Amino acid sequence: MPKQAAALAGVAMMCLAGAANAAWEPTQPVEIVVPAGAGGATDQMARMLQSVIQKHNLMKQPTAVLLKGGASGGEGLMDMKASPGNANKFIIAQSSIYTLPFSTNLPFNWKDMTPVAIIAMDEFVLWVNSEAPYKTAKDFMTAAKAAGEQGFRMGGTGSKREDHIISAAVEKVGGTKFAYIPYKSGGEAATQLVGKHTEANVNNPSENVAVWRAGQVRALCIFDKEKSTYTTKVTADQSWADIPTCRSEGIDFDYTMLRGIFLPSGVTPDQVAYYQDLFKKITDTPEFKAYAESQALKAVFISGDDMTKFLTEDEALHKKLMGDAGFLAK
Amino acid sequence: MSIQDEETEDRSVVSYRSVDLVVSVLLFLASIILGWTNWQIGAGWAPDGPEAGYFPFYLCVLLGIASLIGIVKGVISRSDASFVGRDQFKRVLQVAIPSLAFVAGIQWLGIYVSSFLLIAGFMRFLGKSSILASLVTPVIFVVFMFYVFEKQFTVLLPKGPIERALLY
Amino acid sequence: MEALSSLIHGFDVLLTWQNMALMLFGIVLGIFVGVLPGLGGPNGVAILLPLTFSMDPTSAIVLLSCIYWGALFGGAITAILFNIPGEAWSVATTFDGYPMAQKGQAAEALTAAFTASFVGSFLAVVLITFLAPLVAGFAIRFGPPEFFAVYLLTFCSFVGLGREDKHKIVISLVIGFLLTAVGMDTVSGQLRMTFGSVELLRGFDFLVAVIGLFGVGEILLTMEESFAFRGKKAVISPTVVFRTWATLPKYWLTLLRSSAIGCWLGITPGGAIAASFMGYNIAKRVAKDKESFGQGRIDGVLAPETAAHAAGTSALLPMLALGIPGSGTAAVLLGGLMVWGLQPGPLLFVEQKDFVWGLIASMYLGNIVGLIVVLATVPLFASVLRVPFPTIAPMILVSCAVGAFAVQNAVFDIWLMLAFGVVGYVFKKLGYPLAPLTLALVLGDKAEDAFRQAMIGARGSMTVFFSNGLVGTITIIALLVLFMPLIGQAVAWVRGTRAPKIEPEAPPVSAPASEA
Repeated sequence: MPKQAAALAGVAMMCLAGAANAAWEPTQPVEIVVPAGAGGATDQMARMLQSVIQKHNLMKQPTAVLLKGGASGGEGLMDMKASPGNANKFIIAQSSIYTLPFSTNLPFNWKDMTPVAIIAMDEFVLWVNSEAPYKTAKDFMTAAKAAGEQGFRMGGTGSKREDHIISAAVEKVGGTKFAYIPYKSGGEAATQLVGKHTEANVNNPSENVAVWRAGQVRALCIFDKEKSTYTTKVTADQSWADIPTCRSEGIDFDYTMLRGIFLPSGVTPDQVAYYQDLFKKITDTPEFKAYAESQALKAVFISGDDMTKFLTEDEALHKKLMGDAGFLAK
Repeated sequence: MSIQDEETEDRSVVSYRSVDLVVSVLLFLASIILGWTNWQIGAGWAPDGPEAGYFPFYLCVLLGIASLIGIVKGVISRSDASFVGRDQFKRVLQVAIPSLAFVAGIQWLGIYVSSFLLIAGFMRFLGKSSILASLVTPVIFVVFMFYVFEKQFTVLLPKGPIERALLY
Repeated sequence: MEALSSLIHGFDVLLTWQNMALMLFGIVLGIFVGVLPGLGGPNGVAILLPLTFSMDPTSAIVLLSCIYWGALFGGAITAILFNIPGEAWSVATTFDGYPMAQKGQAAEALTAAFTASFVGSFLAVVLITFLAPLVAGFAIRFGPPEFFAVYLLTFCSFVGLGREDKHKIVISLVIGFLLTAVGMDTVSGQLRMTFGSVELLRGFDFLVAVIGLFGVGEILLTMEESFAFRGKKAVISPTVVFRTWATLPKYWLTLLRSSAIGCWLGITPGGAIAASFMGYNIAKRVAKDKESFGQGRIDGVLAPETAAHAAGTSALLPMLALGIPGSGTAAVLLGGLMVWGLQPGPLLFVEQKDFVWGLIASMYLGNIVGLIVVLATVPLFASVLRVPFPTIAPMILVSCAVGAFAVQNAVFDIWLMLAFGVVGYVFKKLGYPLAPLTLALVLGDKAEDAFRQAMIGARGSMTVFFSNGLVGTITIIALLVLFMPLIGQAVAWVRGTRAPKIEPEAPPVSAPASEA
């Protein structure tokens, strides 16, 4: 009965294929945890992900954005820690997964979550008011040194976080001292720079792009190993790629920040695989690419063991930087 | 103004003076505990302005002083005004206890079932509505709530086992 | 004149059937969202943002801004009917709006609130239309010292107004300040008063406290009296709108003053809440009959509503012109702009003329349409008070719970709300005023941050608060307002006549904010 056998085999094949397709899918509306306030960069990313998923029909269940920005996002992290095994929920994390526990003794470690993928790296740029006399990072550092005791005011988001860490590192390599003023958001730091209430800030591109295009601030250097790859002109005569690296300008320091997706702990490999696949698809859409370019995000996709390795190294780096700056909690 | 209504028939459960004193004492204790934790994180004045605990600490000092004034005032007060009468208190408990059960219910039963029980119970036992009305009204309300929050605005409200079984 | 022709162009862009339909839809949805607890303002707009991703930006902003107008109108409804302020800036509306409803004047209060909102927004839009570029530049002059001075002014205009025991006013204010300090401290990045609790990490959200203190507390108080809302006997007829309107012209000064306060504070980012309190307090200060405030005066509703809405509207100006959100909702709209591929900032006015002027035109139309819609529904909303108490009370409780939960998606917040309800009940019976508590809860951390940021920038030198004309003027006005009653007494004393009535002197309340 070769025919029947063939038919059976066919059925078996179909079952297998079916099984492979229907591996795992969210069973309830999926919560996107945003460990930040409404309207900020992470919130915007969440809304963008939501729209891409919706537009391309990438998930059957609807998504809901959950803002958990208390304690600089510590609330969102603790919420993830408190939901082991719940695969209908993911968080958009950034470097606060290390900085918060280090600076506040928050009982949290990124190992309390399941890494899915890093979908982008965020850049940092040294900005000054466009009416300021210094045209290069070198001039700026010389001026900052000359200002001495009445040093420059450096604006940034929050305290003992990425902006503050960079600011402290620049102080160290440049042998100068800033008065670091922590604001509630990057947007506020941007406006304060335009209003000359601070001399500089180290905002993300997305936080300063509006005032940069308007010619109100000047980008001195980018805190990355290499220049940005986005060559489309953003201002009248400059693109992101035109900003020199800080290392080449004599500030011997670089720093980028992960934008990564994590699930709670205790989820199955199937579930992790589902989300890895989902985010691979998302990052390949033209919408995501356009978004990344508009925010000057560095396009990366790191998952699996590479991601674990990255996180381990990044955590150690943060521990060192924060230790040098005296930000570690006692 | 709204405090001492002349309700002679309604026997007092507790006097205004006692409650005032208890609240003042509690506030005083709170000021000490909170003041202490803020002292711990640093309540001094660093070269670049006040430390993290500075404002809360001195607020606690202020709270301590103000609540001490309250305690003194309460102790020397000769007033025997009533804080709440017996009938009044009964009515307050008629809301307070179901409310407590309602919030506890949210954790175990989910918000929809709990809301249904609260509204139905209120209508039936306090409002003396008919059984039909006190069943249908909460069902409509809860379904409407589900439709608006869960479906239209994707606000995911807390759910319990019954709701999960019904929905997924 | 250029503004005028641009505006006409804006109306041109706007007046399509599709946009008009979206506008009406947005307004109705906005009112709905404003009435539902926990959804108003920023949350409502944020939740609906994904719906607009596929629209063209002009239609999208028309829809979203109309939701915003609707929510602004809607926020006053629960404040007046149930004493539950849907938004921070509706708190001051409850002071006189709720007593009016209790006196059976719910419809009058609603009409007054809606009309005041309209006047406030309308004047702010006129300001935006003609002074946009000029005014936008003003906003960036605000650094930490200036912000602190504005908050100081708000607090100073508030002290010395209460009739309650001095120590109780101080306690109430201090509790507000302490509650807002719980959680992470922005300036130092340290956790304060969390006692290692995860739930306390997020701090005390203003809305949760207010829903408990006012909403739940009120239900308990009402129950104590009887099973009925005191406003039940309200006479509701459509003519009430016109009768109320007839009385409004004599309050023109209140309306104008509050609009001015609102516009000014709206442009200086973060001012809508401060505006509503300041509008109320100044109306109270200048009134001959201060005592009757808080007992249901119509100008006690007009003053804060006008100011809040003038501020809420003008807050969009810095967002469009500078990319600085002046309010929570503006921040969400800003996020929306980015998603639609628009860059807010000074260039928006140059590069996206259709969009900007379409939006401004929609502010005019949206406000008019909004006013008509809400006024038409005043009798409907006011009639909610006729529903038997045992039916409506649990529904309000459920709505409060949903509202408290939705703010931060935390069940713990529902417990907190209940606790605040009991505190609200006890405090009200003991004669502790709740207004100072809410004011401090809303502005306390902002004031503290601004003060410490100013200190860091000035290396600990207090002279920064007098370092330039702008901040110096505001600080001096604040101090004058604070000491006005004392000065008045001193003058009277010098003249040898005793002050006819001893004005409440400024309690030491100002200490944490001004001297420290």
